[in-house]
Amino acid sequence: MRRQVPLILCFVFGIVMIFTQFSPHSVSQTLYQEVISWALIISPFALVLATTTLIQTHVTRIRRRTEHWQYSFLVFVGIITMVVIGVPFGPQNQVFEWFYTHVQVPMDATMFSLLAFFIASAAYRAFRARTFEASLLLITALIVMMGNVPVGDLIWNTVLSWLPLEDGASGARQWILNNPNLSARRGIILGVSLGVISQSIRIILGIERTYLGGGD
Amino acid sequence: MRKTIRCLLVYLVLCIGISTAFSQGLTPPSNVTAMDTPNDDGSSITIKWEAAPERSSISGYQILRRIAGGGLEEIGALLPAGTTTYVDSSIEKGSAYAYVVRAVTETEATVDSEETAPAKGTGELFHTGKIPLFIAMILFSAGIVWNIYYARSGKEIFVRRIPGLEAVDEAIGRATEMGRSILYSLGLGRVEEVPTIASMTILGQVARRTADYETPLHVPCRDPIVTNVVREVVRTSYLDEGRPDAYNEDNIFFLTESQFAYAAGVAGIMTREKPAAIFLQGQFFAESLILAETGNSIGAIQIAGTDSEHQLPFFIASCDYTLIGEELYAASAYLSREPMLLGSLRGQDWGKFLIFVLMILGVVLELAGVNWITTLLQRVS
Amino acid sequence: MDRRFVYILVALAVIIPMLFRVNLPVSVSEPTQKLYDYIEALPSDSTIILAFDYGPSSLAELNPMAKSLLRQCFDNDVRVIALTLYPDGTTLASTLIQEIAEEKGAVDGEDYVFLGFRPGATQVILGMGSDISSVFETDYSGKATTEIPMMKDITNYAQISLLIDLASGSSTEVWITYANVQYNLQIAAGVTGVIISQMYPYLQTGQLVGLISGILGAAEYERLIDVPAKGMLWINIESFVHLLIVGLVVAGNIIFFNQRRREE
Repeated sequence: MRRQVPLILCFVFGIVMIFTQFSPHSVSQTLYQEVISWALIISPFALVLATTTLIQTHVTRIRRRTEHWQYSFLVFVGIITMVVIGVPFGPQNQVFEWFYTHVQVPMDATMFSLLAFFIASAAYRAFRARTFEASLLLITALIVMMGNVPVGDLIWNTVLSWLPLEDGASGARQWILNNPNLSARRGIILGVSLGVISQSIRIILGIERTYLGGGD
Repeated sequence: MRKTIRCLLVYLVLCIGISTAFSQGLTPPSNVTAMDTPNDDGSSITIKWEAAPERSSISGYQILRRIAGGGLEEIGALLPAGTTTYVDSSIEKGSAYAYVVRAVTETEATVDSEETAPAKGTGELFHTGKIPLFIAMILFSAGIVWNIYYARSGKEIFVRRIPGLEAVDEAIGRATEMGRSILYSLGLGRVEEVPTIASMTILGQVARRTADYETPLHVPCRDPIVTNVVREVVRTSYLDEGRPDAYNEDNIFFLTESQFAYAAGVAGIMTREKPAAIFLQGQFFAESLILAETGNSIGAIQIAGTDSEHQLPFFIASCDYTLIGEELYAASAYLSREPMLLGSLRGQDWGKFLIFVLMILGVVLELAGVNWITTLLQRVS
Repeated sequence: MDRRFVYILVALAVIIPMLFRVNLPVSVSEPTQKLYDYIEALPSDSTIILAFDYGPSSLAELNPMAKSLLRQCFDNDVRVIALTLYPDGTTLASTLIQEIAEEKGAVDGEDYVFLGFRPGATQVILGMGSDISSVFETDYSGKATTEIPMMKDITNYAQISLLIDLASGSSTEVWITYANVQYNLQIAAGVTGVIISQMYPYLQTGQLVGLISGILGAAEYERLIDVPAKGMLWINIESFVHLLIVGLVVAGNIIFFNQRRREE
């Protein structure tokens, strides 16, 4: 019973939602909007669930004195500070904005900027002309990299000006993005879309049910 | 003869004069019709009329409407000259409206068209423009369902080798031998997203093996609902393998909702715990390379899989194995060898074959100057 | 080569050009030019929507684009409705809009309005297709949307000339799926470098009228509006990092071939 009810709900709503896409009638559209609104109700529950799970996890860590348990206190300091300032005074409060601009912004930007370092090390390791295909990938990558920055055009126009390509590295990069990149991407997107449809049918028909967990 | 020529000249001058006078003058908009807008929910009426002659002095059109028994009222702003259609979306369902199109000149002189017959907005039950899409959906779904039942009858189904999935046992075995843990990330996807569900299915299979080998499995999550569902999935796998004692709920935890805080958290776990095997399966964005490169730096065997095609290059550069796009969805069938799931893969291939045929046929016909396939596909969108 | 050595080189390639400012000529790509031309061709008093769909992590790439776009709109008397589908985006969008509005003398409520954030991206986009004020009853500062002077004549997408999505994730696809396909709203995007190639299918099909690609696109736009700022600065620095990566790849291959020759 614990499994049958969600499976029936999944089947009924799956089929109904598909058909609302083919019917412009107001009944069908109202139903569609209604179901979407129900889905929105889940968000506040997710917030409660998130807070509870987070508190549980870190309380357990502190209680059991697991490795680096001291950092769990920092989680509580962060949560309490932002809730105490943000809930009564709103996000436009100066202190809240200060925390946002001087704590969250630099921390997020730091994590994002790590990508520059990781891209360099990954490129250094991955682009080796081991085979013909790898060499092709290497040359393409070099052209796109140079086409992405103005210095690429400068070098191209100085060193490779004898080539019959007028638009330089940026033109070559644009051609690669518009043609080989787009064709390969479309192939992958088609495969992924068919995979999504197939997976959705398996879910609607109740063949794929691992996500329901245990219990009969 | 001279008289005839003179008469002809006068006649010609008169013709030109009269036609010029009329074309610059104000003629009312002609052939005005009002009808229910097709393929909508009945909340609009479409008004059409014929374009005014090119040399007319009309500067715009104003639409007027009359509800049964009422007076004429202006609706909407002045429409630019050259407009020949107007959709009135401010109607009340069930009421009949008659329309007049008023032509306005630069000198603000006006002339009204004849009033149209009353029209009502009616909601259609089926969107006729979506018929080709509907047929495609039915065909594709039927292909999958038929193959699922074909597989159920016990017939053998061939599935090509997927190295990334073959390596799952190797990765778990290696972690067991080294006495180290396994880290599994489902990415940033929410619970309702298909790649997240596909990833949960793979996790279910991975958990069965970690239960067998008693290898610790850590799953940091980005979505609180995913966390709870994943706990259920892993617990079930441990129960199914008869190892409920080995299941540790604390190893599956909610980290944070913030994208880069999640990346920082998972990268931190990688460097502290040094898992021997890392699975990155699901929906990933810019954080993919941070996770994959950190995993690479600690020497873990990494198996990634995502349908976010823009992140594939990063995974291919930094991971040992990568499931590309649809392979993520094939994984549950591949790992479980469940006939019904394998059948759906075969149905998927049928769909792909149909698309290939359409594409080749479309290109050939287009080259031959026949474009009905292109037109049909444009209608689908 | 130890990866930490690579990291030090990258850090140097960023820091050194910052100390010695270099100005390399930037050529404008077609997708950026298209967006610029589209906005230039809009009649004055047209209204566009500018969606700040990114968080603080991506502001280095997307803020310069937002600033250039706002400058162009205010110069051309194009009114701007700003909003965000990201809760993290509210504060950064609000600060940025105020900064450019002050610079250009644009008036809140008349030349621009910032509606803030509402949860549920799909529902927000679909809801605005019927009635913007039903989704955003108030703007970010709490004023009733229907009371805002520039919103008086605006009900839904029918009165909007263009939507520009500044995105670091998959929000542009969601705008295309719901606002373009269902409501025929014209859409353009400014995106981070990581997801540029993801946008090309939409550019080719015409579902995107223009595209600003990463920091290079931001620099191109600054050149178009003739206000060189952060975009120009970053792209010059990025040039050196790209050169370094190309050098590293070449060095890596030389080492690789030498090793292989020795092994043979």
